[in-house]
Amino acid sequence: MKFKKSLFLTLITILMTASFLAACSGSNSGSSSNGTKTNTENASKEETGTDNAPKLYELGKEPLEFSLYGHYSWYTMPPWGGDVGTKWIQDNKKVTVKAISAGSDPAAKLNTMIATNALPDVIWLDRAADFERLREAGLLVALDEYIEKYPNLKQWLGDAGINILRAEDGHLYGFPNWYTNQPNGNAGYVINSKIYKDLGSPKLETTDDLYNYLKLVKEKFPKVIPYQPGLANDGQGIDVLYSAFKENDHKFPGMRAVPNGDKLTSIFADPQFVEAMKYTSKLFREKLITQDAFTQTLDQITESVMTGNVAVYAGASPTDIAQKAHPELVKKDPDAGYFMVWPIHKEGLDKNKIFPGTYTTLGWNVAVITKAAEDPEAIFAFLDWFTGPEGQTINFWGPEGKYWKGLKEDGITPIFTEEYINDSAGLLEYQGVSTNFAWVGNTVFADRTKADFDATLPEEQRNWVTKWQNDVTWKTQSNATEFINLNPVPNTDLGIIAKRIDEIYLQARAAAIYAKSDADVEAILKKAEEDAMTNDYQKLLDFKTERWQENKKKIAGQ
Amino acid sequence: MAQVSLENEHLPKSKEKPLIKRFFQQIDIQLMVLPALAFIFVFNYIPMYGVIMAFQEYDIFKGYFDSPWVGLKQFELFFQDPAFFNVMRNTLVISLLKFCIGFPAPIILALMLNEVNRMFFKRVIQTVSYLPHFLSWVIVAGFVISLLSTESGSVNILLESLNLIDEPINFLSIPEYFWGILITTNVWKEIGFGSIVYLAAIAGIDPHLYEAASMDGASRFRQIYLITLPCIMPVVSIFMILAIGNLLNAGFEDILLLAKNPIIRPVSDVIDTFVYRVGLQDYRYSYGAAVGLFKSIIGVILLTIANTVARRSGNSLW
Repeated sequence: MKFKKSLFLTLITILMTASFLAACSGSNSGSSSNGTKTNTENASKEETGTDNAPKLYELGKEPLEFSLYGHYSWYTMPPWGGDVGTKWIQDNKKVTVKAISAGSDPAAKLNTMIATNALPDVIWLDRAADFERLREAGLLVALDEYIEKYPNLKQWLGDAGINILRAEDGHLYGFPNWYTNQPNGNAGYVINSKIYKDLGSPKLETTDDLYNYLKLVKEKFPKVIPYQPGLANDGQGIDVLYSAFKENDHKFPGMRAVPNGDKLTSIFADPQFVEAMKYTSKLFREKLITQDAFTQTLDQITESVMTGNVAVYAGASPTDIAQKAHPELVKKDPDAGYFMVWPIHKEGLDKNKIFPGTYTTLGWNVAVITKAAEDPEAIFAFLDWFTGPEGQTINFWGPEGKYWKGLKEDGITPIFTEEYINDSAGLLEYQGVSTNFAWVGNTVFADRTKADFDATLPEEQRNWVTKWQNDVTWKTQSNATEFINLNPVPNTDLGIIAKRIDEIYLQARAAAIYAKSDADVEAILKKAEEDAMTNDYQKLLDFKTERWQENKKKIAGQ
Repeated sequence: MAQVSLENEHLPKSKEKPLIKRFFQQIDIQLMVLPALAFIFVFNYIPMYGVIMAFQEYDIFKGYFDSPWVGLKQFELFFQDPAFFNVMRNTLVISLLKFCIGFPAPIILALMLNEVNRMFFKRVIQTVSYLPHFLSWVIVAGFVISLLSTESGSVNILLESLNLIDEPINFLSIPEYFWGILITTNVWKEIGFGSIVYLAAIAGIDPHLYEAASMDGASRFRQIYLITLPCIMPVVSIFMILAIGNLLNAGFEDILLLAKNPIIRPVSDVIDTFVYRVGLQDYRYSYGAAVGLFKSIIGVILLTIANTVARRSGNSLW
């Protein structure tokens, strides 16, 4: 009996130890052999491929399968082929995309993949530090050659866009997403219609108008939040107010720098910044801005806006919540809901030079092809097709037949069917899935097609967001492409300085808003300026200036 | 732990057999320890080589072998950071507060519960008070933020309807209140769970002692003072030693989630939140490792001191 018992225990122990060891070694060996294999195949393919000049990869001729990793904790790719759009792509283009999910900690996931040499074929990520790290480590495939060969990206992004996307070494590594050559973005002010009408629809154009209106709201509706910013810790709703005091603002507070001639100079010393801070502080002091602004969560903001408990809601994209809130409120009371106003400006400034938000021609993020990919050209060919009119049409409105049938005479614009209006719920459901496949979204094509169609509809059928984008926000976002990539790599000396300045800025901004008087605001910002300068702010500003000038040259095509 | 060591001391020396023989005699029990030892070895000892990155400028693409050595640069960066003194002060103040209030609280709760005669009532209190331990800080912070909110927070509504205040107080944005809110929340979350071990220790006390004491006419309070407390002292002192070793861990998630407003950063920023924000979010692994090493060294020193002091009373860890 005793012998049996101890034998059993020995067995368990051995098994457990074995499983530990197995778990440790498994992932390593598998991936490294994979990596080397693909590399050699890569080399041989390239040799044969370059024999006779431009030989295009024909999509759909043979099956293509690649893996894609979305470098975001919130991103989970839906199953490929699980909806009509990707099913169509799978059937007709023979393309299958395998998802690799980041889980809750993308930074750790990417590091693991790098460290174990198990990179996916495509990574979808921000044009930020991680992108730079991968590029500097030589893990990405340069796309220049392919861009010349395949038509869509070159056509829709344009040469200026391609030039500024180029990395320091002159090559292009990222396939941009939602790139554009026309303004987009939703930053601005959303107004509660019901409260506005109840208060006699006063003029809301200047900062004084806004102040008086908010005061009126507080007086007449003490339970209502007069001014609700988006997440104030991110500067939302606060930076928007700065734009009211500064003509041609390009979200300078976010850049922590302001252009002065051909130099970028301290944000703390900017007279308009001080002025805007005083104004914001006054609103906050008089409780016209919610006192929870710096502590609340997005859920709390959503709740206030959804229930119509705010008079003015401003942020970098206030339409996100407002477009959901608007139909709900209208359902109960046709006078309720939200509308947008032309951005507020300080008396005396040109209201056409007030920009609460920015856009860049490069859009949001990029898809990069790694050196682990067996056939990078094939993947590029697919992405290029996907960003073109045919791919985008499928991505937005599904395969031909249901929501669209046939193309207009330009050969690219789909002709929408009755279903497009009648079955908007079904379309929304499809788009809810397909938007997750929009790695290489083509803003110009999508927006133009949508807006053209929307303009043909009667007022009440027009989409709330599309209407305000056309009427207000797209006209009031400035092109900040020349200000991209002004941030140094974080783990360098300049990166450390940038972080310190950032800390000083965030604390000073909060302190200024909480200040007891305008004089305090000035004192706080003056102190912040001194602190920043002793922490090498000037070095950072010089760096930013240099980058800015380089960008301008790149855009000019020099 | 105390129990085991006590039993060992009572073992008569003469019965002791050679180590090897004893080991094989209890081979089945010893094998049970093996997985735990393997676990500690694999996950706690092997990764220790990672501390060398505290002396490097670690680059994930180059690995340990090719990353440049920078000596004590990472430590210097931390000590020379303008925020260093503030961060150290907050760390010490918050953890001392947690120690002075959060450590005795579960002991007091356990003593109080022990005096409750009605089993049902006692059980309900125990269950209710230890449940918050299982909620993640994200949820608890969510509670606290909405309870203390100025727009529709229950606390402000209550104070207003009691006419104690004229207008809502912005609790989470007033630096003076932050430590209080943090400690209260911590005590609320952990008090019940912390008291379990003390309740167990109290349950192990020989009931004859109480009987004898009450015959001698000792009041309930005197019984607590003269019997319960001395009997649970070994457990208390062991937990105290461990708590002292943890003094530089002033908390991380609770502060990160409750102190969202930069206005209270001068009182809320502790080593861990600072390192998270400044180091890890920006991939400065070496910096994070250096600060972590610094904390561990201080922790080991504190632990040793506490243990030496405790040894005088005979309740030390080793």
